[in-house]
Amino acid sequence: METLDPSDNQLVERTQAGDARAFDELVVRFSPRLYGLIYNMTASHEDTNDLLQEVFAKAYRSIRGFQGKSSFYTWMHTIAVNMTINFLKKRNRRKTMSLDDVDNGILNDPDFIAATSNGDPSHSANLGELQKKLNESMLKLSHEHRAVVTMFDIQGMPHAEIAKILKISEGTVRSRLFYAHKQLQTHLQEFIKQ
Amino acid sequence: MDNNDISKLLRLKRYEQPPAEYFENFLAEFQLRQRAEVIHRPFFQIAWDRLCRFLAPPSMPRLAMAGSFAVAVIATGSVLTWSDSETEGLTPSMPTIAQQAPAPSSPSQATKSAPAVQYVLPAEVVTYASRRSF
Repeated sequence: METLDPSDNQLVERTQAGDARAFDELVVRFSPRLYGLIYNMTASHEDTNDLLQEVFAKAYRSIRGFQGKSSFYTWMHTIAVNMTINFLKKRNRRKTMSLDDVDNGILNDPDFIAATSNGDPSHSANLGELQKKLNESMLKLSHEHRAVVTMFDIQGMPHAEIAKILKISEGTVRSRLFYAHKQLQTHLQEFIKQ
Repeated sequence: MDNNDISKLLRLKRYEQPPAEYFENFLAEFQLRQRAEVIHRPFFQIAWDRLCRFLAPPSMPRLAMAGSFAVAVIATGSVLTWSDSETEGLTPSMPTIAQQAPAPSSPSQATKSAPAVQYVLPAEVVTYASRRSF
């Protein structure tokens, strides 16, 4: 994460020199990951699509100012997080996530199997209910806490990287995570007890 | 229920991804949007972009480019203004005709006191003959 991926760097340089195809390659490379980030913060596929378009448009307009002080990965994530938080502040309303788009791969995930069936059929929960509870709990977090949880727990980013993206200290990242987990624990407690 | 359980549950959300075709279409949609933006952009913005691309090194931010352009314009303007004032100070100021010769109050006074004003006319032969020769 710390050092620039040479390929990304080359693509950035080519884009800065006016090669639009190089930027297309960056879009292909970064869109799935940024989609996950924005989607887990907005809880709407439609908003995610629009925001992702705007994020790449902004990145393309500003790429001449990118000097490589941080990695391109960090730079893109910073743009995406800031734009999403601004969007959420403006939107200021909550939406429920669509459950239709959940990938079927989740059914084979060991964590999912462990969480949904403990040998007791009455203890098992269906996919829809689990997702619903998770989404509800996530939406109760503040935008800033949701951003930290999304990057750390869902995207698996280290504390240091999150701190760079959000321009806060690692201690603040850890405290936000702690607080967010506490809140999620409270919300999910009932579901787990069932 | 501890942090580990929460983390495990949250990891499940990684699977909430759109189908693979979405990302293929996404690039096409992005390119269309970019082209539409270019078409609807005002001419001066396109011209400015091209100027930036031509003059500035790739890593130079646009704001810095605009700032240096503004500084260059101000510097040029101040140099020009300064050089004008400098030349005004160095060259002797020529008195105007009005200062040299005050307007006479009467025609007789004018013939007596007014200095002889000499007008230099172009030394060109006045002729009505056509210059064209066939």
